[in-house]
Amino acid sequence: MNIAYNFAFFDEGSKREIRRSTLKAIAIPGYQVPFASREMPIGRGWGTGGLQLTLSLIGKKDMLKVIDQGADESVNAVNIKKLVTKTTGVRTVDDTEDATVVQSRHRIPEVPLKEHQILILQVPLPEPLRYYEPSEFVTQRLHAEQEYSGAWLMLFEQIMKYGHMSTGADHPVMVQDRYVMAPSPIPRFDNPKMNYSKALILLGAGREKKIYAVPPFTKVVSLAFDDYPFEAESFEGASCWQCGATGVFLDELIDEGTGETYHQCNDTSYCISRLNARPANH
Amino acid sequence: MKLDLVHDTQLAYRKLMDSMSRPGLISELGELAGKVGLKLNCFDATVLLAAVLLDTEVTFKIISEKEEEIVRLFNQLTYAKAAETAAADFIFVLNDANSFQLEEAIRKAKAGDLIHPHASATFIVEAEQITNDNGLVLSGPGIEDTHHVQVSTCGSESRGSWLDERALRNIEYPLGVDMIFVDRDSRTLCLPRTTQISKKVNN
Repeated sequence: MNIAYNFAFFDEGSKREIRRSTLKAIAIPGYQVPFASREMPIGRGWGTGGLQLTLSLIGKKDMLKVIDQGADESVNAVNIKKLVTKTTGVRTVDDTEDATVVQSRHRIPEVPLKEHQILILQVPLPEPLRYYEPSEFVTQRLHAEQEYSGAWLMLFEQIMKYGHMSTGADHPVMVQDRYVMAPSPIPRFDNPKMNYSKALILLGAGREKKIYAVPPFTKVVSLAFDDYPFEAESFEGASCWQCGATGVFLDELIDEGTGETYHQCNDTSYCISRLNARPANH
Repeated sequence: MKLDLVHDTQLAYRKLMDSMSRPGLISELGELAGKVGLKLNCFDATVLLAAVLLDTEVTFKIISEKEEEIVRLFNQLTYAKAAETAAADFIFVLNDANSFQLEEAIRKAKAGDLIHPHASATFIVEAEQITNDNGLVLSGPGIEDTHHVQVSTCGSESRGSWLDERALRNIEYPLGVDMIFVDRDSRTLCLPRTTQISKKVNN
């Protein structure tokens, strides 16, 4: 059966509801605006929040880039691109510079985003206090009262246990001195890219039914203590084995034959564009 | 009406989102508003924004001498229901309203509560002319340094005091009202609650 879907899959009412929530999210940076979160042809928790934001705002002239953990070709990214292109006909691109809309799971691209671009992040757990407080009823009130002891306590306990803050990803941030926000599970390496970003950042959690936003040029500070400052992952002395890049987020891989570890760019399109830019005789 | 309710509203939404995320950025809605093609007692851009924002899930209030006529039209176009100022999700202040009415509406409009700050009113205000001339100095999220805007409001009466009323309504952040201005030439400008406004003092 061939169903003729509306442009961008959703009916106009669904888009309008997401759009209204998005505008409120932009007006209250870092605050999680509840939204209806429509049923999607992919499971909740697999990027439906980001996908719904993308579908609500995409137009015929947009160029879409979708990445999953930095990769343009992973299953999740490819399936999301297929759904969007089949229902809109928009072009997809790999180069970050060419995209007008970038939907991402767990990374902010290496190439700095520009003013005309929109970054959409897929969020599994939008509530930064959830680890400490399981009740949504309670966390709403904690946000209302700006009572963020729980977030600080989580970091403090990590320091007590491990001697340092051990957030692997999703290190909580303070947005415009008001809301503590989960930046989605991006590595700590990417947290500073949110601070005074040139591009609008929208975050969508489909399963948890929340939309929130970081407008451009908004203060985003990673939570830290005076004596335990925030530190991004360090790749001191390591470089990409393919393109030789340093100062970017690297994946650590193990050569199963020799047992040696080596590093590779996590952002695949960045790595490929560097390789392509090399002189041919190299 | 030649307005494409799928693609034209999408383009209008993107411009509105640009302006909302970058307060002081004036977006041109002229080409899209031109497709509205209805002879009405409000700006075409106002009808366009109603088409982008309103449906059965939200309520609206029209502040104008022609309230009854415009309410009927917006209801027919979008199926949204009219509500009193204190309850409305969207408050349209048309260009025949006076300064007192705008101030009163800001005073009465819902500003959300601390648990649900998003449950607040959004204003759509018709202004005579919106420019980036010196006048109001904007700062806050979305603005790199500062932005300058001039919002000339309609009629002989000055609407300047809405600024004080807005500041008062937004004093307890995150509570507050968000404002969208449109002018005769379908330019639009947004002032979300986070934007701080000061008046430029002329030397």
